[in-house]
Amino acid sequence: MTDNQNAAATCLDETQFDVMVIGAGIAGAESALKLGDMGYKVLLVEKEPSIGGKMILLSKVFPTLDCAACITTPKVSETARHPNITIHTLTEVETIQRNSDRHFSVQLNKKPRYVVEKDCTGCQECENVCPVITKDQFQFNLTARKAVYIPFNIANPRIALIDIENCMLCGACEKACPSNCIDFTQKEQQLQITAKSVIVATGFKLFDPISIERYGYGRYKNVITSMQMERELAPTRPFNNVLRPSDGKIPDKIAYVFCTGSRDHTVGNPICSQVCCMYSTKQAQLLMGALPMADISLYYINIRAFGKGYNEFYLQAKDMGANYVKGKIGKITEKENGNLILRFEDILTGKVTEKEHDMVVLSVGLLANPAITKVFKGEKLELDPINYVQQPNMLQSPAQTSLEGVFVAGTATGPMDIPDTIMSAGAAATETSSYLKRLS
Amino acid sequence: MSTKPKILVFSTEKISDPAIDLAGLLKKHYPNTVYTISVPCSSGIKPRWIMQAYEKGFDGVFIAADGTDCPYGESCVEKTSAIISVTHDLMRQKGLKPSQLKMAALCSVCADAFVAHINNFTKELAKKDN
Amino acid sequence: MKKKIGVYVCHCGGNISDYVDIEKVKDAVRDEADVFLVKNTLFACADSSQKMMEEDIKTQGLDAMVVASCSPKLHLNTFRGVAQRGGLNPYNYVQVNIREQDSWAHSDNPAGATEKAIQLVKAGIARAKESEALTSMKIATTNAVAVIGAGVGGMRTALGLADMGTEVYLIEKSFFVGGRTAQWGSVAPTNDRGDVLTAGLFNEIQKRSNIKLFTGAELIEKKGSVGNFDIKVKIRPRGFDGNATTDEIQKAVKACPVSTMDEFNFGLTQRTAILIPQKGQYPQQPAIDKALCNQCGACQKINSSFQPASTNEEILSLHIGGFVANTGFDPYEPAKGEYGYGEIDNVITLPQFKRLIELNDNELVFKGKKVKKIAYIYCVGSRQDDDEGKNKYCSRYCCTSATHTGVTVKNKYKDVLNYHFNRGIRTYGKAELIYGQASQQGDVFLQFTLDSIPQVERKHNKTYVKVKDILTAGKTIETDADLVVLVTGMVPRENVELGHLLKIPEGRDHFFNEIHMKLKPVETVIDGVMIAGTSQAPKNILETLNSSMAAAAKVNSVLTKGELSLEPTLAKVNPGACTWCGKCAEACPFDAIVQVDNEGKMVAKVNEANCKGCGMCTPVCPTDAIDLDGFTNAQIGAMIDALAEL
Repeated sequence: MTDNQNAAATCLDETQFDVMVIGAGIAGAESALKLGDMGYKVLLVEKEPSIGGKMILLSKVFPTLDCAACITTPKVSETARHPNITIHTLTEVETIQRNSDRHFSVQLNKKPRYVVEKDCTGCQECENVCPVITKDQFQFNLTARKAVYIPFNIANPRIALIDIENCMLCGACEKACPSNCIDFTQKEQQLQITAKSVIVATGFKLFDPISIERYGYGRYKNVITSMQMERELAPTRPFNNVLRPSDGKIPDKIAYVFCTGSRDHTVGNPICSQVCCMYSTKQAQLLMGALPMADISLYYINIRAFGKGYNEFYLQAKDMGANYVKGKIGKITEKENGNLILRFEDILTGKVTEKEHDMVVLSVGLLANPAITKVFKGEKLELDPINYVQQPNMLQSPAQTSLEGVFVAGTATGPMDIPDTIMSAGAAATETSSYLKRLS
Repeated sequence: MSTKPKILVFSTEKISDPAIDLAGLLKKHYPNTVYTISVPCSSGIKPRWIMQAYEKGFDGVFIAADGTDCPYGESCVEKTSAIISVTHDLMRQKGLKPSQLKMAALCSVCADAFVAHINNFTKELAKKDN
Repeated sequence: MKKKIGVYVCHCGGNISDYVDIEKVKDAVRDEADVFLVKNTLFACADSSQKMMEEDIKTQGLDAMVVASCSPKLHLNTFRGVAQRGGLNPYNYVQVNIREQDSWAHSDNPAGATEKAIQLVKAGIARAKESEALTSMKIATTNAVAVIGAGVGGMRTALGLADMGTEVYLIEKSFFVGGRTAQWGSVAPTNDRGDVLTAGLFNEIQKRSNIKLFTGAELIEKKGSVGNFDIKVKIRPRGFDGNATTDEIQKAVKACPVSTMDEFNFGLTQRTAILIPQKGQYPQQPAIDKALCNQCGACQKINSSFQPASTNEEILSLHIGGFVANTGFDPYEPAKGEYGYGEIDNVITLPQFKRLIELNDNELVFKGKKVKKIAYIYCVGSRQDDDEGKNKYCSRYCCTSATHTGVTVKNKYKDVLNYHFNRGIRTYGKAELIYGQASQQGDVFLQFTLDSIPQVERKHNKTYVKVKDILTAGKTIETDADLVVLVTGMVPRENVELGHLLKIPEGRDHFFNEIHMKLKPVETVIDGVMIAGTSQAPKNILETLNSSMAAAAKVNSVLTKGELSLEPTLAKVNPGACTWCGKCAEACPFDAIVQVDNEGKMVAKVNEANCKGCGMCTPVCPTDAIDLDGFTNAQIGAMIDALAEL
């Protein structure tokens, strides 16, 4: 049930749940769905204005090349419609405290949307009249949006919100709204709920390559991240083609820099991010389809094409003409025309070489998102040495955490791809249901 | 006939109909003489329905097939093509041109592809009638 | 035929009414036959509008309802709910999409959009007129699951299911549980011992009264469909019944004249026809290998619990609701001569090496010789990119397992040297730390490509491995090795019969195939049949556990309610018109059509539990005797007529 349906269908008790799932990406949604299907009452808490996490923003997914939106949206709407699932978007967990009866008392902070959820029809009239233009975080800053906006076309719930930081309070949206749902008087709401168990599905953070100065991200316009490229290739993409940012030219010599922020002690992330080789390979295939004349070079250390059908997918990219170069990029410099010179050691020849490209995509890695540990009061959710949620019984019960009744799903435990995430979420559902059975 | 050819689209509930919805959502325009009937799977479309459409005045029929995305299995592709070829035979018998029946697999967000197909089909049908 | 239809046309704020002239639409359909009332709403989905419709149904006695608004994907269920609350069958409700497929799509042409809206609403009315009340069929289901295979994955599936309240029949082909994991010592990444992990799982299983374990057991028959399968399980005689002391068992083993290679140690040792459980294998009770036993009776003389002549095979009939196939993998067996395997003495596989480590406590010795230099050759049986029909896939676990083994032997025996001949190390994720550890302890990594694979040669009584190393710009490097370890990949376990019995499709790599890697990774196209662990694709232990527990979650969520509600839009046969040609049965991907006798005539019948309502059976019928509920000839025909009308 989405927030707006909640209000309509007045539930008897919207404060007591069997499970609270933190994070409504695909891991959280999958755990919630499985537990909802088993008949448990689930609360799904999401800090963003819509659910579906990172996956819903992707273009196509490897190795099947299904479009991500097509396979995420059915899951997302199934979650939103589920009679046993209550969703709070724009909501953060403030504290979790275990009671004497082993249940958890949870304090939630629901941020104001400044739009009455149940009345908004998603007509976008407000967007049309809003005079403010600001960066669109859901397009990873490639384009702009208004201060009142629907996050993206396939957002769920597909309703507007006001970015109050950037809003000028001109009231134009209020006048334009046909269902009178703009409400500037909304305040933060503190909600108290109890849950018998918790699933942490808080996902990962993307590595911000600004810290690797020698790659010039943030300074060189035509150096973008793989997530930005993902948006350029997505069906709900900002432009109708792949463009390089400096001059809007269609690029024809694109380079990928693998392991940006992964396998790199100097940035504090020694591990492999598990997905970058494959998503870069996928993007290369999509680019070769979209820009048949373009030259795609991928600078790698090792190709980690390990999953079902992945190696075959990598071979297919090579067959299509993707140019895989074994070598770690030392430095990128920008030319006056916006083109970029990549300096690297070509492992096969053992020589330091330079190559010119007109666009560079940094295959950024995944990082732990450990903020959730702070909300547990009176006990500690242990992390592993690289700040992912620790799995103390990894090879017996991988969804268990250091806390009884608190389970973990998806990339909160470490980098993983979508199929692994879905399976880990299923494991968390099994573990949670088993725990709830023991509890009762 | 009117200036604009009339097209009947058979879409599928889970795959191609969402794409047609998305075309509307994104305000991608196509002729208003295009009508859609949504069915569970493109391999459940009966040739007699298609023939009935021509009989009753439709100029073209477009099958927005599931392709390999079909939730009922990959045999959909083969079965949908079989329906097309059976229908083509029936059309020949009635003196209809095979080009009045078009099929394309559409994924659930293939809004652009849908609009492009429909606009081309409309153009082709309009040309042939002149 | 419906005679009192209520039609509601929605403005959707302005989303529809800005482009479509709602009054014009209302006027155009008001006089359609059987339309009882026509109303407009600002927001049909708003609470007040929903209440109004409910009231209309009740007070005006509507027998069908049409709402022209947004896409049915958004609100079909909302208005079906309204219909139901008002007392109408939800399938007498028809939604007409005049927003996504009209007002928005033709926002450039309001007059055209209005025209189209009229036609669409008329078609909706025509469909509603022909609509029939449908009821979801509910079938009772059995909350019991057969888990096939009792390795680490199967045991975890069983425990998960049992703890969620599902009855489990855990069926293991061999006489012992533990699977492959029982064979391993230290495993990545935690350094837990494989046999300790399986022991732990077995202990837990013993504590669950709702898990029935059968060893020496095989599934031989399956009938029925999701929720209700009837299966037969054959249990082979164990050849041991009762008790024997350790001493007696040892004596019996000594007395047994049979000798064959011991599979548990991958042929590094020999065994007799008496199968003795190893560490990590359970139950800790011997069994007799009937295929090899020559019935000499020597063991029985030592203790009468040994019953080599026993033939009492047992057939169990069980009623279950679903399956989880957790049948695991086999290690790739290199061909004779592949990197010297089978020809040069000290070339062994990684699984053999892992057993060797277990068999050598203090010193690493192979065939009487101390081992110091170990050469690992990677991707044996995997990533065979060049040859059609071979294993193109990456076996996923092996890079991590081999580097981890390198670390393990270095820790255990100190003075060994590891040389890793690899094709690009794939220690993904956190396993990168193990690769780092191996590098740090001084392991040497050399990388080759498929064009120039390492050469293993026997010269001057020594074994040499030679490679063109791409990490040193193609320099040829040669080393002698006391042991060459072929890092072999995973292949699907030989279980063709089970696949056929359960009708699980295979992928190109011959592992069991899921429906959809991301949406349905543990489900197969056969409802109620799940796949988990390495039966689906190569996986490490952690991934196997996750997939096993995910399969448990899925099958439990289907069976826990005790009943399944089936979509009522099913295919229906008109027995009068059917002449049974079998074409519909052939077209059905779900085995839902069977041949039955209908008053002396053979006709097709739809098994409602299997039918998914796709309609694939309907166009192939030569006598048009089969229709899909909700999409009948009458309904679609009426819609086409209404849309064509101008």
